[in-house]
Amino acid sequence: MAAEIGTGMVAIAAGLAIGLTGLASGLAERDVGAAAVGAITEDATLFGKTMVLMVLPETIVIFGLVVAILMIFVM
Amino acid sequence: MLLPESMSRVVIVGSKTQMDEAIDAVYSIGSVHLVDHIGGSDEGFDIGAPLEHSSKASERLLKVRAAGKELGVNVAKMAYNPEPKPAKKVRAKIKGSEVEALEKKVFGIIDERNAVQQRAAALAADLDVLRRLSSFDVPLEHYSGYRSLTVFVGTVREDPTKALGAVGITDVLFDMPKKAARGTVLAFVPNEGAEAASATLAKHGYTEMAYPELTGTPAEAVPGLSDDLAKAEARIEELNLELAKLSEEYATTIAAFDEELSIMVEKGETPLRIAVSDYSFVMDGWIPTAEVDAVSAALDARFDGTVHMEVQEERGRKLEESEKAEKRFRDPPTKADNGALGKHFEYPTSLVSTPKYQEIDPSTIIGIFLPFFFGLMVGDLGYAIPFIILGAYGLKVAKSQEFQAIASVLFFGGIWAAIFGFFFFAEMLGMHFVGAATETSTTWEALLGVTLPEWFTGMFPSLDGGGHVGISKLHDAVFMLKLSVYIGIVHLAVSYFLGFVNILRQHGFAHAMHEKGGWLFSLFGISFLCYGLSLALFGPEIVLTDMAIRTIAIGAVLIAIGVAVCWKVEKSHAIMGLLSVMGNILSYTRLAAIGMSKAGMALAFNYMSILMLGPNGIVGAVAGFAVFVVGHMMIWVLAIISAGLHGLRLQYVEMMAKFFAGDGVKYDPLAIKRVHTEVLETEV
Repeated sequence: MAAEIGTGMVAIAAGLAIGLTGLASGLAERDVGAAAVGAITEDATLFGKTMVLMVLPETIVIFGLVVAILMIFVM
Repeated sequence: MLLPESMSRVVIVGSKTQMDEAIDAVYSIGSVHLVDHIGGSDEGFDIGAPLEHSSKASERLLKVRAAGKELGVNVAKMAYNPEPKPAKKVRAKIKGSEVEALEKKVFGIIDERNAVQQRAAALAADLDVLRRLSSFDVPLEHYSGYRSLTVFVGTVREDPTKALGAVGITDVLFDMPKKAARGTVLAFVPNEGAEAASATLAKHGYTEMAYPELTGTPAEAVPGLSDDLAKAEARIEELNLELAKLSEEYATTIAAFDEELSIMVEKGETPLRIAVSDYSFVMDGWIPTAEVDAVSAALDARFDGTVHMEVQEERGRKLEESEKAEKRFRDPPTKADNGALGKHFEYPTSLVSTPKYQEIDPSTIIGIFLPFFFGLMVGDLGYAIPFIILGAYGLKVAKSQEFQAIASVLFFGGIWAAIFGFFFFAEMLGMHFVGAATETSTTWEALLGVTLPEWFTGMFPSLDGGGHVGISKLHDAVFMLKLSVYIGIVHLAVSYFLGFVNILRQHGFAHAMHEKGGWLFSLFGISFLCYGLSLALFGPEIVLTDMAIRTIAIGAVLIAIGVAVCWKVEKSHAIMGLLSVMGNILSYTRLAAIGMSKAGMALAFNYMSILMLGPNGIVGAVAGFAVFVVGHMMIWVLAIISAGLHGLRLQYVEMMAKFFAGDGVKYDPLAIKRVHTEVLETEV
C-alpha cells in the first residue's frame, strides 16, 4: 500500500515538474514573442536574432522534463 | 574551407577619358567590390560626377515606369523571362526615342479615357436629374429666364407643398416616387416671396439641383442623353481594350527598357563612388585573391595597359591588421566559400548575421549537425521517406534561398531519419519491425502475421535482451536522455573548439586559451562531475563507489583548471558561467524528448486505429484507417515544425553563441544581372 502511494506521489510530482515549468516557459515566451514579432515587423532581418531570444525560455521546461523523466525512470 | 574567401585590396587607375569604359569593364568582369571614396580623403581627388547619359537615362526610366504602371506591367514581379531581348537592340530602340513614343501612345489613350470618363460622369448626373424632373411636364427652357420669378429646382426630404401654401406660394410641383428617400420639387415663386420660400424649403431639407440647359420636356430629353452616355461608355470600353492590348504587346519591351535603363543609371552613377581628379580616376575595391590575376588580365586585354590595376594588400585574418588600416578599408567583405554541403545552409547563417571576414562561417557545421539532429528527433522510417521525397523535389524546383534551405534540411534530415529509423530504432510509423504485440502496442511482424528472418532481426540493436528489437524511444528513455547529452557534449566541444580557432587566428594562442580554451576544460569538467554525481545519486540509496569518486574528482580538477585559465578574461563569470554550460548540455535532452513525444503520439494513434477500431468489422476498419492516416499526417507535419525549429535552435543558441560574432560586410561586387535582356556574343 505504502509503495503504491509512493508511486502515485512520484507520478504527481513528475506531472507538476513538467506542468509548472511548461507554464513558466509559456509566460516568458509570451512576452518575448510579442516583442519579437514587433521587431520583425520593423526589420525583417532581425528574424534570426529574435528567434534566438524567443527560444531561450524553453530551457526552463527542458529542465522540468529532465527532472520528470528522472523521477519516473530512476526513482 | 570554413573561412570566407581571402580578399585582396586593389586600386584601378586610368585617365579620366577612359572612366566610362573602365566602369563598363568592371561591371562586365563582375568581381570588384567597390569601396566608396570619401570626399577629402586624398588631396587633389574628389567624388566624380555622374556620367553624361545618366540623367537622360533616369528621365527615360521614369517614363517607362509611369507607362508600365498605367498598363499594369509589374517588372519587379516578372522574375523569369524565357526570351530575353538582345541588349544591343534594346539600346538602339532607347536611342531611337522609342521610350518617348511608347509614353506618348500610352498617355494619349489614358488622356482620352480620362476625358471620356469625365464626360460620362457628367452625362450620368444630368440623366439622373432629368429622370427626377420627368414627372413634371414643364419644358426645360421654361425653368429660367424670368425677371420677376425665382425658380427653385431641387430635392427635399418631405412634401413642402402645404408649408409653401401657408406662406402664399402655390405654383409648386412635387413628386416623390414610392420607396425614394427624397422627393423632387419645382417651385415658381414671385421674387418678393423668394426669401420666405427659401426658408420654408430649407426646413424640408432642400438641396438645389443643377439641370442641363436643354429644350423640350425632361422626358423628351432622356433618350438623347442616354444614347450619348451609352456611346461614351462604349468608348471607355474600347479604350480599356486598347490599353489591355498595349499591355500585352509591350510588357516584355517595357521590362527590357526598364532593365537596360536601370543598368545605364547604375553605371552612370558609379563615378559618385570613386575618386576623380582633373585628368584621372581611381577606384578602390576588394577582389577575391583567387581572381586577382584574371581581373588584371581582363583589364589589360581590354585597355592594353592604359587602365592599370595594382594589388595593395592581401588581407590576413589577424584583427590587428584590419585595425591598423584606414577606416574605409577596415572591414573586407565576406564572400562565403562553402563546400557543396555548406552552400545549402548559408541561409540559416544569414538569418543571424553575415560572418566577419576573419571568422569561421558556421554554414558547414550547421549543414552537418542540423540534419543529424533532425533525423535523430524524427527517427522513423515511415516519416523519413516522404521527407526525402519532398526535400529532393524542393531542391529541384525551389528558386528562392529560403525554400532551398528548407528543402535541404528536409532532404538531408530525411536521410538521417531513415538511417536512424531503420538501423537504430527499427521503427516505421511508430511500430517496431520485430517483436510480439502487447495489449497497447503492436509491431509490423504481428500486424502482417509474418516472422521476419533471423539475419534481418539481427541487424538491430537491443537494450534489454530481446524485449524490444531496436531502441524504443519510450521504454529506453533514460538511455536516449544519456545519448542526447553525450551528443550535446560533442556538439558543444566542437563549438568551443571553433571559437578557440577563431580567436587563435585573430589574436593568437594566449588569447584563445583565456577566452575559449578555459571553457573547453570547464565543459569536460562539468560533464565528468555530473556523470560522477549521477552514478552516486541516481538510485534508491546514495552509493559512493570508487568509480563515482574518481569521476567526480577528475571533473572537479578540470573545472578548476578551466576557471583558472578563463579568470583573466571572464573574472567571476568564469564560475557563474558554469551553470549556463550545464544548462546548455541539458538543453540537448530535447533531442530525446521530441522523439519521445512523437513516439507517444504515434503509439496513441496506432492503438486507436489498429487495436481499438480495426477489429470491429468493415466500418471499424474504415474508421481505423482514417484515424491512422490523419493521425500520422499530423505527426509528420508537427515533425517539420518541432524537429526543424528545435534543431535550428540548438545551432543558434548552443553552438553559434560560442564562436560566431557576425556583423560582417556582405561581398557585393559591381555586376549586372540581366533577366529581360541578354548580351549576345557578337556584341562584345
